[in-house]
Order: sequence, then C-alpha cells, then structure tokens
Amino acid sequence: MSEYASINEQLDWTRAKVIAAGVDSGAVSSKAVILLDGQPYAFSQVRTRTPKESAFSAINAALAKTHLKLENIHYLVATGRGRTQVPFARKTISEIACGAAGAVHIWGPSVRTVLDAGGESCKVIHCTEKGRATAFLWNDKCAAGIGRYMETFADLVKKEVTEIGNIALQSDQFPKLSDFCAVYAQSEALDLIRSKVPLEQVIVAYHYAMAKRISTLVARSGVKKDFVIIGGLAKNPGITDWLESILKVSRLAPKPEWDPTLTAALGAALFADASYRRQ
Amino acid sequence: MNKEKILAGLDAGHVNTKAIIMRGQEILGYCTVPTGFDVVAAAQTALNDASDNAGISRGELGGIVATGIFKDMTKVPPLNVTQTVPEYAADAKGALFLNKNSRTVIDVGGNIQKAIRYDQNGNLLDVNQNDKCADGLGIFYTTMAKAMGLSEQELSELALKSTTNLSIAIQCALSAESDAIDLMCQGRDIADVADAISRFIVERVADMCTPMSLTKEIVVAGGLAKSQALIKHLPSLIKQDVSVLNLPEYVGAIGAVISYEGGK
Repeated sequence: MSEYASINEQLDWTRAKVIAAGVDSGAVSSKAVILLDGQPYAFSQVRTRTPKESAFSAINAALAKTHLKLENIHYLVATGRGRTQVPFARKTISEIACGAAGAVHIWGPSVRTVLDAGGESCKVIHCTEKGRATAFLWNDKCAAGIGRYMETFADLVKKEVTEIGNIALQSDQFPKLSDFCAVYAQSEALDLIRSKVPLEQVIVAYHYAMAKRISTLVARSGVKKDFVIIGGLAKNPGITDWLESILKVSRLAPKPEWDPTLTAALGAALFADASYRRQ
Repeated sequence: MNKEKILAGLDAGHVNTKAIIMRGQEILGYCTVPTGFDVVAAAQTALNDASDNAGISRGELGGIVATGIFKDMTKVPPLNVTQTVPEYAADAKGALFLNKNSRTVIDVGGNIQKAIRYDQNGNLLDVNQNDKCADGLGIFYTTMAKAMGLSEQELSELALKSTTNLSIAIQCALSAESDAIDLMCQGRDIADVADAISRFIVERVADMCTPMSLTKEIVVAGGLAKSQALIKHLPSLIKQDVSVLNLPEYVGAIGAVISYEGGK
C-alpha cells in the first residue's frame, strides 16, 4: 500500500456551493475524498496506525494539496471499520452502503454486484441501479486478513507487494496450497522453498489459493451482472484475474481515473453531499 | 570439541537465517539476515557478515554445521557445510551451553515454536511442536507491530504499560489480527491492544507445552524471546519460572557448533 495525495487542478473550491468529504478508516489504510458540487476534487490514502490519528492524517493529506481547511468542509461522512473513531465526522455510514454507492458512481447503473476486497475483510454487496445496497455477505473469520497477508507474503519473499500480482500470472504450473486459511497457505508457501519449487510458482500458488478463498464467498452470495471489484486487492491482477477465471465471470474493467481503493471513501463523500443538500 | 578450530553454526530458519562463529567455548561473532527465498544466498550473507563480525576470514573456518528447517538446502558446494544437525538436537545443545542448569528450552521462532526437554548432557528426552493453527506467530508479531506503526521493541515496551486486560482470538493469528484491529477501531488504548497481542502469542506457546512435563530450569529461546512483554506472561501460564537465554535467536546455531563431529 502506498501513501499519496492528489487533486483535480481544474476545479476551484472558492466557487463551490457544496464541499463534501468522505473518510474511510480502514484496517490497513485510511482514505479521504473531497467533492466540490459533486465533482471529485482531492484524494488521499495513508497507512492506518491508530484509526483516529490516521483519519486526521488522511483528511489533512488531502487538504494540504488545496488551500481548504477542515472547517471549510460543509459535511463529512466517515465509513470503514474505524468509522466511530473519526471525531470530525457529522455522520457515520457503513462501508457496505458506501462501497455500493461509490461503485455505481464510478462504473454506472449497470453494477449489481460489488466485491470489496480490502486489507482485513472481504465482502460481497448486491445493489440497485441507484447504488443502494440490498444485500451483503461478509467473509467468515478464517478468510480475514487476505489483503494484509499479501504485504506480509511479499516481505517474506523479498518482493514489492505491487509486483507479486503480475508475477502471479506468469505460470499455469504450480503446486496447490491450502485455500482455506491464509496462515496455512503462508506456512505451506514457506515450506515449498524446501522442495525447491521456483519462486514464481510459489507466488502463483499463493495468489491462486487466496483467489480461491475469496471466490467461495462470491459464489455463496451469487453474482448478478455487472460485477466490479473495489478495495486494495482490486489492484492486484494476481487476485482479480484468477478470481475471474475461477468464477468464470468477467468484471467491468477498472476506470483509469479512479483508484479502486478510494471507492468507499467516494461513497461516503456522495452521502455527505446528499446529506448537506437535504439540510 | 576441538579447542583450536574456528567453527561456524548456521541456522537456516523459515524467516531468518542465523550464523555464529565460535572457537571452542568462545563466541567470536554472529549475524542474522532474512531468509527470503534464496536460502543459499541468505546463508552466504549470514556467514560472511558473522565472519566480519568475528574479525576472521571465511578461509579460517574449520567447519560449518547447519541446522534449521532449511538445513538440507545449505548442503551445496559454495557453502562447504560439513554436517547437519536436527533442530531439536541443536536447540537442546545450544540451550545447555548457554545455561548449564537448563533442562527445558521453549523456542519461539518466526513460523514454528517448540518445547524440548533434555538431560544434563543435552540428550533429547521429549519434544513438542505447535499445531498448524499456531503457525506463523513470529510473523504475526512483526505484522502487528507494523500495522500499529511500531517497532517490535516499541510494541513490547507499550504492552508492558497496559493497565486493562483485553483479549483477542483463542486459536489463530488471522482471527487475532482481525480482533486486534477491531479493538483499535473501538478506540481502545493501544498499550492494552499491544498487551493482548503479546498475551495471545504466549497463550499459544503455553498451550503447546501442556502435553509435556517441563523440567527445571526452563529457558526461552528464539527471536520472540527478546520481547519482554511476551516473557512477562509466560511464567503464570505454564506455572513455572522461566529465564531468557543470552542471544536467544542463536540457540540453534550455537547448538550446531557444539554438535560438531558428535560433540567431541
């Protein structure tokens, strides 16, 4: 996970009527999105340490790119696992509702199933053409932490977390690992070293096992088209491509202008925008 | 043991590779490097750096004895490994060398932990290893420190300041991580969460020890032995006093050297 902040230079906040923001306090990273009259303006992502401190870092990182101050924001909604720890939020909304709203905003009204594959949890959300979540399925505990374990795994094999996803597509030949539990899979992956399995194959094997694990969750809830993937793991082709091949379902292609990690934060900002207008 | 010969002990573990250089009973130098995915390269680096640390050249080494989960992979030409020793045997010999009165060693490593009981000559009497659900506790500890933006040392120091007993998972590191994150998201004190993480690990270690009788004195080895927060909870859980060995992560490597040519 990399930390960054950026803004859309085309917009001028001094002319905006509604300045709305969303903060997504996640288990691994905290994200902020600021909208000017519904238009995406500023974005940030920082690593989560304690949820409260990281919520401040995320919004401050986005604000630092502008000349905005926190008090200039008309309405701010917090979402994510640590959403109750965001003291400057006017309201909190679940990441289920925000994920669906954000995904429909990014990909359009055809989206019916959203897989949110994050650092600590995975969830499958069904939604309406307006982005309203109608049902969801959360991972069971044995499938927790797949996102964070990707970083741990990358450290163990001394690779960057951004490169292992591509390596994971370079081979069709690989040994099978436990696809029930990331702890088992990690331990088994380490033991493959002893059987002199090439590193590339171990990386493929690990990604395949994790994609298989996530696929059971998606299959259980059922996929209605269109299907999209959001959250940090959406940027790992080793997960997304294997998942598509296991599920035999294609997802809508990622939008180059949107980092899928920011989807729930965007959803929160959209709720903030709507809440302010309703006041 | 040959008093004149300089020997190297190499412990090729799941997570870290440790090397130690000894002359007779004297420890001259040591070094730890991450194993990564190239066991041989890690072993080379560890041996070179440990030799530098000892102030000797690789050529002065009279023999290299390897142990650790990847010991057999180190038996390739560039390394000149003279012999290999099973991990349990090496741990027993190493722990006895570092503490003459010890009869049980609890080794808490990166991916696995084990308890080993031995006699006054370092001969094995009993061993036990964690079940698979408790794999990766060392890796988990590192991951959690990183998640909280702390070093492992800071996590331990913080945990010692905890005032409230919180609890995370009873079985596996995945659930523990998930529970720890939940506690953070409820705004619980970070010191209490750090303590809960430490206690979770120690409880797993204590669970592993239940089926065997632990003979005094009990010593703790492995990288995690350096965490005071962990060691704090161990005596009450296993109902016995424990002490931490000097150079706890080098126990296997030292034991390998002691086992050279059958421990002559």
